[in-house]
Amino acid sequence: MLAILRDLLRYNLEFRIGLALVAIVLVMAGLSFVSPYPAGDVFVVPPDIPPSITHWLGTTSRGQDVFWQLTLAIRNTLGFGIMVAVLSRVIAIVVGLLAGYSGGWIDRVLMSINDTFIIIPLFPILILFYFVLRDTMSTPLLATIMACLGWAYDARLIRSIALSLKTREFTQTSIFSGMKTHEILAREHLPYVLPIVFSTTMNNMNWSIGIEVTLAVLGFTDINTPTIGGMIYWANQHTALVAGIWWWIAFPVALVAMTFVGLFLLAVSMNEYIDPRSRLARMGGGR
Amino acid sequence: MSALIELDRVSKSFSRGGLFSTRRVEAVKEVSFALDADKPEIFTVIGESGSGKSTLARMILGIHAPSSGQVRLGGRDVATYERRAFMAEVQPIFQNPFEAFNPLKRLDRYLFMTAERFGGATGTSAVDGSVDEALRQVGLSLPEIKGRFPHELSGGQLQRVAIARALVAKPRLIVADEPVSMIDASLRMSIVNLFGRLRDELGLSIVYITHDLATAYYISDRLIIMQQGVVVEQGPARAVLSAPTHPYSRQLRDAVLTPDSAGAFRATHSRKAAETPGARS
Amino acid sequence: MSGAGDAVPVLQVRDLQAHFRTHYFGVNREVRAVDGVTFEVNRNEIYGLAGESSSGKTTLVKTIAGLLKPPLEMVGGSARFSFLPGWDAIGRAPPEVVRAIRWRHLSYIMQGSMNVLNPLRRVRYSFRDFAWRHLGGSKVEFDARVVAHMERVKLDPSVLDAYPHELSGGMRQRVTIALATICKPDFIIADEPTTALDVVVQKDVLGMIRAIQCEMGSSILFITHDMGVHAALTDRLGIMYAGRLVEDGETPEIFSRPLHPYTRHLIASLPRIGDTEQREGLDGTPPNLAAPPPGCRFHPRCPLAMPVCTTIVPAMVETLPGHRVACHAVNPGMAT
Repeated sequence: MLAILRDLLRYNLEFRIGLALVAIVLVMAGLSFVSPYPAGDVFVVPPDIPPSITHWLGTTSRGQDVFWQLTLAIRNTLGFGIMVAVLSRVIAIVVGLLAGYSGGWIDRVLMSINDTFIIIPLFPILILFYFVLRDTMSTPLLATIMACLGWAYDARLIRSIALSLKTREFTQTSIFSGMKTHEILAREHLPYVLPIVFSTTMNNMNWSIGIEVTLAVLGFTDINTPTIGGMIYWANQHTALVAGIWWWIAFPVALVAMTFVGLFLLAVSMNEYIDPRSRLARMGGGR
Repeated sequence: MSALIELDRVSKSFSRGGLFSTRRVEAVKEVSFALDADKPEIFTVIGESGSGKSTLARMILGIHAPSSGQVRLGGRDVATYERRAFMAEVQPIFQNPFEAFNPLKRLDRYLFMTAERFGGATGTSAVDGSVDEALRQVGLSLPEIKGRFPHELSGGQLQRVAIARALVAKPRLIVADEPVSMIDASLRMSIVNLFGRLRDELGLSIVYITHDLATAYYISDRLIIMQQGVVVEQGPARAVLSAPTHPYSRQLRDAVLTPDSAGAFRATHSRKAAETPGARS
Repeated sequence: MSGAGDAVPVLQVRDLQAHFRTHYFGVNREVRAVDGVTFEVNRNEIYGLAGESSSGKTTLVKTIAGLLKPPLEMVGGSARFSFLPGWDAIGRAPPEVVRAIRWRHLSYIMQGSMNVLNPLRRVRYSFRDFAWRHLGGSKVEFDARVVAHMERVKLDPSVLDAYPHELSGGMRQRVTIALATICKPDFIIADEPTTALDVVVQKDVLGMIRAIQCEMGSSILFITHDMGVHAALTDRLGIMYAGRLVEDGETPEIFSRPLHPYTRHLIASLPRIGDTEQREGLDGTPPNLAAPPPGCRFHPRCPLAMPVCTTIVPAMVETLPGHRVACHAVNPGMAT
């Protein structure tokens, strides 16, 4: 694993830039643990101060320091994205591999569920959930709902790979070596699916962070948990742009854009590295 | 006389086509033959693409169920076997040795897994011992193979490992689907000879599926010739191939090109060569 | 019987070298797939190239045809065509020059005939796409020429109105041969054109290739690993092993008097119907071209290997008239 990181650092520019961007974002998130101000409190600093030596990124109209507020917001937003990505990946891998490998009625049942999830409109459902759950709506709950809505497309992608893997001779060798279905899926087929899982993880994080920001800006989330979207929501509530408090919106947007680009570059470079063909070439094989 | 494997009027049809026009394609039609349990032999199925020989192999291996008829192992319908109990008796060898093992995984895991699950070996030393024994039967050894990846071996070596893996399960029957067609010419005969040794020394029966009449003649005891799912001729391999009676068998035999057919197309087609023999010096 | 060729070289390959160079995350590999190959193909002959999967025969042909794509690079030597004067390899000529000779002077018959025929269009349009601009003339004239050509190669012109998927594999391969020969090219490269075909169909297709070649007097470089096909079809034959040519000469001569131990083994190991003699495989494995053995690349598997074989590369020597071989045991005292 360390050797992989070293190789990537040494030979891949995308990886270096992506890693630098994500590292900055992570350091920001980490700093939230040493924040001098309590997270939820308002009017702890003088409001509406532009960026300065004492308040690097300025302060909000609610009397919060933008920098320290951002550290907490990006931590929550990233955590949300990771939660959605991990949960939806697990569902997508299990459903995709199982459907592709099993075929027959298992495939038909799983894929009809899958197609249902692909076509149901996402946004109205999320808003519906918000209105039904309202007070009990929390970040983990929203993440679970998003994960349940965000796996279907990738499951189909994984299924198509599993379908072709099933016809390869080594699958028959595995069967006749006495491997059980779950062993074949986890040990023989998973490595071929991983490149797609990796790139879709980053994409899925970007997608879920985007949705979360959108929902939060519109006020359809738990606005008391500071997130990037939540910050923009409050800025809008205080008509920050009209009032000329640009730093209240500009810095959260810049940070989330940095996250997007960083994750994207990591996905691209990891993809190239983990691809079985490139892996084989490095092992000295490949014909 | 008891039969090791017995095919009783086995047919297989697939449905082809889309939503509105499905048609049944009969890949194998009413094929019957039996291999004697007490007399190990290499039984060859000869056919070209579309002859149904691979479908037949997959039915013997229990991968496909016949549409009609029965495949019996030791007198019992294959469909009634518990899958693993069946695999301990019948093992496959495939066409492409480079595809037979996952290129990202070490080779030995397939051997160890087979030894644990079918070979009845428990404990590291017993597993190592049975894998090493099987590898030595094919001219390799465990130290040579341990920890190696498929791309580190040649096609011939890989096919030996594939055969060793099948042997680890201590099966009574091996089904080999075109096992030498992708092996380089210089290594091919060693693999073919290995099948002969398995029959003679280990008493294994082998169903050898091939399109190559020359190796069939060289190694097999009995054969059937298939054309579009139907057996057109069967009998002792050398008798049938020396004097085929069915028109299709004769056509096949006559199309085989060997070093002895030198100049076949020059003699019949080359006007120039016929007019000026020895023009080049 | 002697070959049909006129001793006028159409293709002259001199010390050709082509390597695969890959670079993945700091792991550099150089695979010397073709390493110093010299031979000639004369006018009006079929020159066969035989070799195993790692022998480099397909790489050699790609290099000769100028179909070089990274990581494959032509590293040295030359491959001159008589119809392309002034350039020492197609890969080094400018694209417009290459476009002008492709199909007109040089055409290809490949293993996967589906790759050449456009699957979505009737066969007739594939002919128009490939050959019209080389032959010129009006559409009516061109179509008439295509029909005449189909008749000459004994194909029913109704095939022109079929889609590729409606034809059998053998018929598709005949169509690609018709397509490759309509411009009466000087040189045809045929890379395993019958390997995917059933033996009965293969026999017909080989007969067709020979008949067309005789009629047009063109040259064919014919690649296959199948020694039976070489014996039946080719006029002269080159044997490749591990990226080098080890023997070449007239085909009947090679089969009746093989000199290189590798060739001898290849021919002796072929089983024949009606012959029950024991045949043996060769010990050892084909070499890894990323780290080939020094000296003669066959020496680790060679029954005749001597100390000199492990250090000095044997030169290709004309041991008998028109019959070259690269082996220290056959040509004592010769070295590069």
